[in-house]
Amino acid sequence: MSLLQVHDVHHTYAPERAEPVQALRGVSLSIRAGEYVAVLGHNGCGKSTLARLLNGLLVPTQGTVRVKGWETRDRARLREIRATVGMVFQHPDNQFVATIVEEDVAFGPENLGLPRAEIVDRVAWSLDQVELTQYRGRAPHQLSGGQKQRACIAGVLAMRPEVLVLDEATAMLDPLGRVEVLKLVRQLNRGEGVTVVAITHHMEEALEADRVVVMSEGRIAFEGTPREVFARVADLRALRLDVPGPMQVVQALRDDGIAVPDALTAEELVGSMGAREREANAASLSAPALPRSAVISVSHLAHYYLRGSPLEVQALFDVSLEVRQGEILGIVGQTGSGKSTIVQHFNALLRPHRGSAIALGHDLGAADLDVLEVRRKIGLVFQSPEAQLFEQYVGDDVAYGPRNLKLPKEQVRERVRVAMESVGLPFEQFKDRITFALSGGQMRRVALAGVLALEPEVLVLDEPTAGLDPAGREQIWGLIRGLHARGLTVVVISHNMEELAAAADRLVIVAGGRVALTGTPRELFAQPQALEALRLRVPEITRAFQLLDGLGSQPVLGVAEAVARVKGDGHGL
Amino acid sequence: MAFELARNITTGQYIPTGSWVHRLDPRIKLVVVIALFVALSLSFTAVPTVLALGLIFAVAAAGRIPFGYVLSGLKPALPVLVLLVILQILFRGQSTPGTVVYFRWWIVNINDAALMAIAVGTLRIVAFIFLTSLMTMVMTTTELTHAIESVFGPLQRLGVPVRELALTATIALRFVPTLAEELERVMKAQASRLGEIGLRADWRPDRAARTRLPLIVPLFLTALRRGEELVLAMEARGYVGGARRNRFRQYHARPLDWAVLVLGLAFCVALLVVPWPTVPELWARLAGG
Repeated sequence: MSLLQVHDVHHTYAPERAEPVQALRGVSLSIRAGEYVAVLGHNGCGKSTLARLLNGLLVPTQGTVRVKGWETRDRARLREIRATVGMVFQHPDNQFVATIVEEDVAFGPENLGLPRAEIVDRVAWSLDQVELTQYRGRAPHQLSGGQKQRACIAGVLAMRPEVLVLDEATAMLDPLGRVEVLKLVRQLNRGEGVTVVAITHHMEEALEADRVVVMSEGRIAFEGTPREVFARVADLRALRLDVPGPMQVVQALRDDGIAVPDALTAEELVGSMGAREREANAASLSAPALPRSAVISVSHLAHYYLRGSPLEVQALFDVSLEVRQGEILGIVGQTGSGKSTIVQHFNALLRPHRGSAIALGHDLGAADLDVLEVRRKIGLVFQSPEAQLFEQYVGDDVAYGPRNLKLPKEQVRERVRVAMESVGLPFEQFKDRITFALSGGQMRRVALAGVLALEPEVLVLDEPTAGLDPAGREQIWGLIRGLHARGLTVVVISHNMEELAAAADRLVIVAGGRVALTGTPRELFAQPQALEALRLRVPEITRAFQLLDGLGSQPVLGVAEAVARVKGDGHGL
Repeated sequence: MAFELARNITTGQYIPTGSWVHRLDPRIKLVVVIALFVALSLSFTAVPTVLALGLIFAVAAAGRIPFGYVLSGLKPALPVLVLLVILQILFRGQSTPGTVVYFRWWIVNINDAALMAIAVGTLRIVAFIFLTSLMTMVMTTTELTHAIESVFGPLQRLGVPVRELALTATIALRFVPTLAEELERVMKAQASRLGEIGLRADWRPDRAARTRLPLIVPLFLTALRRGEELVLAMEARGYVGGARRNRFRQYHARPLDWAVLVLGLAFCVALLVVPWPTVPELWARLAGG
C-alpha cells in the first residue's frame, strides 16, 4: 500500500465568500515509501496547497488524503500524521520557535510528549545528520541561509518522519545553500530511506527525483520520470515552466531540423552530440565591448558594521570596481559576501569607512554630500517587495518619491503614470489597488515603479527575481532589458548564472568582502575552476560545450550560441 | 550610522564574560533576584538599602561586569529620577514633632526626616534598576524564560498557562532580531526613495511621527505574515496548545548553586529581620566609638 494516498482532492479557500478560491480541482496521487517525488508548477498552481494537505495542515473540502491509511480528516490521528509527514517551508526565518538552535530542534519531539532522554538523543542525531552539531548553541539569526534551512530540516527530522515535504525550501537560498540542502535531502532519501516530496520551480532540482509531477490550474497536468517529463518541452512551456538548459539546446536544434537525442545534463548533452571529431571554434562570437566611462567607481572600499562597538564586524575589506555608462553589470556572490553592502554605498545609504566611492561626480565619502541628489540619480530596489511598499494604494506608493522631491501635483501624477506604465501596470487600472493585496510579482513591479518615478540614471536591483517562477523571472528580465534599452545603466545582484550570462555585459564576483573576479561572462566562464573555488558554477550549457570542446574553447552563452556553435561546426551532426 | 540602530539589538544586554555568576543555575539566580526585590521593597531604612546595593555591586564584580557598565544602566532613568527627587523635596515634607525644619513656605516643608526618606526611596529605585540590569547581564533571555517557566511551573496546576506564556515570551524574543532586520530594510527602502529617515535627528514630534508612521505599517504587515507562517510551521511540528510537553532543556543545581541560594535568601531575610541601626544611631555610635 502507498504511504501517501491522495484521492480526487478538491480544495477551496474561503468557500463561504462570494469569490471562493479554488486551489485544487481533483488531484489524485499516490506516493510509495522511499520515493523521491518532485512537484513542479508555476506560482499559484496549487502545489503548496497540495503540500499542506499531505500532513493535515489543511483538510480537503472534497476527496480524501490518507497517510499510512489514516485519513487526515480524523483529527484524533493528527499527532501521528504530523510525526509521519514532516514539512519544511520556504522562509527559514519564519520556522524557528526558539532562540537557540538545539532548543528549536527539540521543539517537535517535545510536542510529541517523548521522554527527555529520547528528546536529547534525537536532537543530537538530527543535528549530526544536517552537520550542524557545532552550531547547536547558536542563535538562529547567526546562521547562513543554508545553515538555517538545514536547522529547520533537523527540527523536522527530530520527529523521525517517514516523509519529508519540502515546500520550495530552496527558493530563497544562495547557490551554496541550495547545494547544501539538496545534498542533504538526497542523502536522507538514499541513505535513511526517507520519502521526499519536493515542491519547486527549479527544473534542475526536479532532476534529482524518481518521479516528477507537473501541476497546473489545480490539477495534475502530467507526470513521469524526469526524462519523460522534460522531453515534453512544448507542454512545459505552455504551463509557464521551462526545461533544464541542455534540453533547451536540444529543442532548439530540433527546431532547426537537427535530430538529437534528449539531454538533461551537460554530460548527456555531450553524449547527444556524439563523440565525433570537432574543432574548437576559437572565433570570437561577440563584438569586443567598447570602452565606456565609469558612472560609479569604488576603490579600496572598506566597511564595518557596528563600528566602535564590541560587536564590530568588518563586512568589506578592499573592494574596487566600476560601473560603466550604459552597461548591465552583474554582481554575484554568496549570502554574506558583502554584495548588498557594496551597492548600499552607491546611493549613500552607507558611507565608506576606508577607500573612496564616486558616483556620477559625487564624492560619496564627503561630509557635505548632497545625499538626496545621489539617491534621486541612483535608484536602489531591494529584494523583498513587502518591505518597500509603505502606502495603502499603489498610486500613492509610487508617488512617495516624487512627493519627497516636492514636485507640483500634476508632475507627480505624470511621473507615477509613466513609471507604472513602464513596468506594465496600467495607471488607471492599478492606481487605486491596495498595495498589500497584490500578487508577489505585481508587488515587485510596484516597488520598481516607485524607484523609476524618481527618474534615476542608474538602477540598482538587489535579487530582482529571487523566488519567482520561470515565467515571472522572464517578465522581470524583460522589464530590465527594456529600461536598459532606454539608456539606463543597470546593476543587478543575482545568484542566477544563467540569467546573468544572457543579460549582463560584465560580472563582478564578490567573496568574503573582496572582489574575487571581474570580467565579461565569457571571460569568467572560461575559468570554471576559479568559479568552482568560489562555490559558483557556470551554466549547464556552457559546461556542456566545455566538456565537448575543452576548456580552451570560447565559452558558449545561452541556447542561441549553442545552436550556432553546433551548426557552424563544419562537421555537421 | 543612521540605520544601524536596528541591527543586532541585544535584548537585555547580556555580557558573556563566562564568570561563575554567569554559569550559576538560572533558576537559583531568578529566585535570589526575586527575594532581593521583595526584601528591598519592604525595607524602608537606609542601612539595608545600602547593604543590598553593596551586594549588587559585589555580584557585578564577581561576574566581571565593568563597574562603569553597571552604572550606565542608570542613564536612561536619570531624568525621571531627578524630577522625582525635586518633586518629592518640594511636596513630600510634613513636619512631625521632633523634626528639624530647614525651609517652609506654603505647602513646601523641607525637613530632615523627609530628606532622609527621599534619599532612601531614591536609593531603593536605583537599586531596583541596577538589580534588573545586572540580571540581564548575567542571564540570557533564553535562560530567563526557562527559569520563569520552571520556577512558576507549579502555578500551571492552578490554571495559570505558564508554559504557553513562556513559549510566547521565547518566540517574541526570537523575533526581535528578525524584525529589527526588517525595520532596517524598510528604513533603507524609504531613504532610497528620498524619505527623510536617517538624514537628521528630528526633534519635532509631528515630523518625527510623519517619518515613522510609514515604517510601522509595513513592519506590522510582515510581522503578521511571519506570524501566520510560524503558526503553520509549529502545527506541522505537532504543536498543540496546552498539551503536556517534556522540556529538552533541564538544569541541575550543583552544590555551589545551593550555597548561593541559601546565602542569598539568608541575606534577604537578614535585611528584613535584623534591627539595623538608623543613620543618626550610626553617627552616634561612630562618634561615641
